[in-house]
Amino acid sequence: MRSERRVIFQVLAWVLLLNLALLCIAPSVLAKSLAKDAGLPSPLPSLQQLVDRAQPGDTIVLTEEKYAGPVIVNKKLKIDGRGTAILSNDTAEAAIRIQAAGVTLRGINILQHPAGGESAAIAVHANEAILEDVKIRTAGFGILLRDADHAAIRDNVISWLPAEDTADTKLGQKGNGIDLYNSHHYRIEQNTIAGMRDGIYLENSHRGNVNNNRLYSSRYGIHCMYVEKTQIHNNQGEFNMTGAMIMGVRDIHVYDNVFTKQSSNVNSQGILLFDVQNSVIERNLVEGNRVGIYIELSKDNQLIENAIIRNFIGIQFKQAEDNKVQANDFVANVIEAEATNSGENEIHGNYWDSAQGLDLNNDGISEIPYAINPFYQQLIAKTPAFQLFFQSPGMTFLSDMYADDREHWTTDSGPRMKINPLSAMPALSSGDAGEVKVLSDQTFILIIASLLLGTAIITIIYSGVSKS
Amino acid sequence: MTDMLQVAKREIKIGLRNPWAYSFLILFSVFSISLLLVNSQNAVSGYSAITGSMLSLILYLLPLMTLFLGSFSLTGEKEEGSWQLLSTYPLGTLSFLIGKYVGLSVVLLTIVSFGYGLMGLISVLIGKVFDVSTYLLFFAFSCGLVLLFLAIALFVGSLSKNRWQALTFSVMIWFFTVIGWTTILISVLGLLPYLWIKPLLVVLTFLNPAELVRLFVVIKLGGGSVLGPEYYEWVNWIQQPGGSLIFFAVCLAWIGCSIAGVHWIWERGRSRG
Repeated sequence: MRSERRVIFQVLAWVLLLNLALLCIAPSVLAKSLAKDAGLPSPLPSLQQLVDRAQPGDTIVLTEEKYAGPVIVNKKLKIDGRGTAILSNDTAEAAIRIQAAGVTLRGINILQHPAGGESAAIAVHANEAILEDVKIRTAGFGILLRDADHAAIRDNVISWLPAEDTADTKLGQKGNGIDLYNSHHYRIEQNTIAGMRDGIYLENSHRGNVNNNRLYSSRYGIHCMYVEKTQIHNNQGEFNMTGAMIMGVRDIHVYDNVFTKQSSNVNSQGILLFDVQNSVIERNLVEGNRVGIYIELSKDNQLIENAIIRNFIGIQFKQAEDNKVQANDFVANVIEAEATNSGENEIHGNYWDSAQGLDLNNDGISEIPYAINPFYQQLIAKTPAFQLFFQSPGMTFLSDMYADDREHWTTDSGPRMKINPLSAMPALSSGDAGEVKVLSDQTFILIIASLLLGTAIITIIYSGVSKS
Repeated sequence: MTDMLQVAKREIKIGLRNPWAYSFLILFSVFSISLLLVNSQNAVSGYSAITGSMLSLILYLLPLMTLFLGSFSLTGEKEEGSWQLLSTYPLGTLSFLIGKYVGLSVVLLTIVSFGYGLMGLISVLIGKVFDVSTYLLFFAFSCGLVLLFLAIALFVGSLSKNRWQALTFSVMIWFFTVIGWTTILISVLGLLPYLWIKPLLVVLTFLNPAELVRLFVVIKLGGGSVLGPEYYEWVNWIQQPGGSLIFFAVCLAWIGCSIAGVHWIWERGRSRG
């Protein structure tokens, strides 16, 4: 987990550096070329001319440092910027607009200055586009796909380009990082997206695969609208308003994602499910969010083996029923579960760290159901300052006396006795644990314990037992 | 200074020959081993409901033990007449009190160390190893509790005439600070204007050693987020590198003030005979 964090930091630092570099290079290069070719209509080499001259099937390698947009690609081409070429665009058109099937873009850096409308760095209106290693700084959208099937979008970096006159743009007014509409069978992999409105926005786009993306500081990390049969897995989100916003979808599979620290906004969630049917949400880790998993108006979903750790509210149901919540781990959530106007959800076999279980037949499942006492939740809803009493002995004492309306409490019919070993791991990363250790825990404890015991015994013998 | 050390030495000797001390020692050892078993079922380190309930269990036992041993020691001095004897010597009240405090804390910390040492050894022997930082934090938590409650115990001891009174006061204070605290605060603060609640709660928390030490450990265990956005500045404050030192200073100030208070009471008693 620690090394993973380091990787995240490195990625972030790298993105930042790249942005800085782009920002520094762009104006100076622009000024130089302007001075050199003063009076010429286009001071920068035009990529459009190269594209026009090429035959379908050609590969264009960009050798210059900088090119001017916009470009319309209307034949099957491969454009390789070797990671160094910069395409700068000041018009409201997309810097690169792809209108032919099978176009590949690789290793290009794009600066998309104009904001507003659907101004995007790359707009794809054709099938089978491949976008790889493209680095985008945009004041509008990053990559737009419209009616473009079978796209592969991987290893790209997309971040927000702040306009010079405004200091801070609201998240809601920015463009999306990757935005799909009516584009099916996509693969979106290993992209890094930061500071946009929605990192990845999917609308009416089915049967795709979104995996291994890193999504930071955006409004929603992944936002699905009316999506079917899509897999979302191994993505990582931090500091977004909501990690994954899954709305109006059916038959999707969300697994092995990690969403942490989504708590900056009063409406923050790790994973939000709204009008979701028949989907599987499993093995995700949601840690340190305002709400771990929020489920509204959703039916027949399965939430299995998720680790829900240190959130303010672990899982929240609103008008949701017939969902199956099983084998999840709930650790150190202030409010473990909350349900309003919700019918029957099947909650069984989860691990709750505050449950007192009793396993009579040794099957790992407690025979005593665990009913979640809503007293504390109601108390702090009225006066948030009382949150200070969380799990204090007096609070436990007071909650235990409150047993009103017990049959309506959210209840796990058979809580699991032991935590899933996988979820115990991330918990280790927090707190004061995890310093570099010279000695193993065992030796260290052995030494400390012997010292303590030894000192105590010597003191007792010296002053208590000996006659002097 | 030598007076103080003499008093402390005598106190340690008396304290460790007191059968009460050993009954508490056995109780605490049994108790810490059960803590070990509770914790070993699910190895979650950092803050969780398990560590939370372990904190609660310690909060039940240690303050009570400290209050009893501490206040009985002072009332014992009065009841058995040894204070009357000591008063005839050129012994300063402050030296006497600090000596008492130091001696008693050595006795109590011996009990706590014995319990934790035994628990640590057993945990290594049966192979259920604690996270080192959690173990040390719990030890520090227990020591902090003992030292702060000992200051209260001296108060109780100086205010009460005999052991029975001390016992009554001790149980009262224990119930008030540990169990009744939440209930009483919620009911009383609920009557006050909304904006007063948080500042008052903060002030009162600093006055209750049980809550003060508990919150410190919760935050140190990485559970600061459970306190919610209302207390972010506290969490930052304690988690910064000097946070433990500041906390230590607060505890020292607490003990210092209490001993000053006890000194005042004791001096009044002395001058009036």
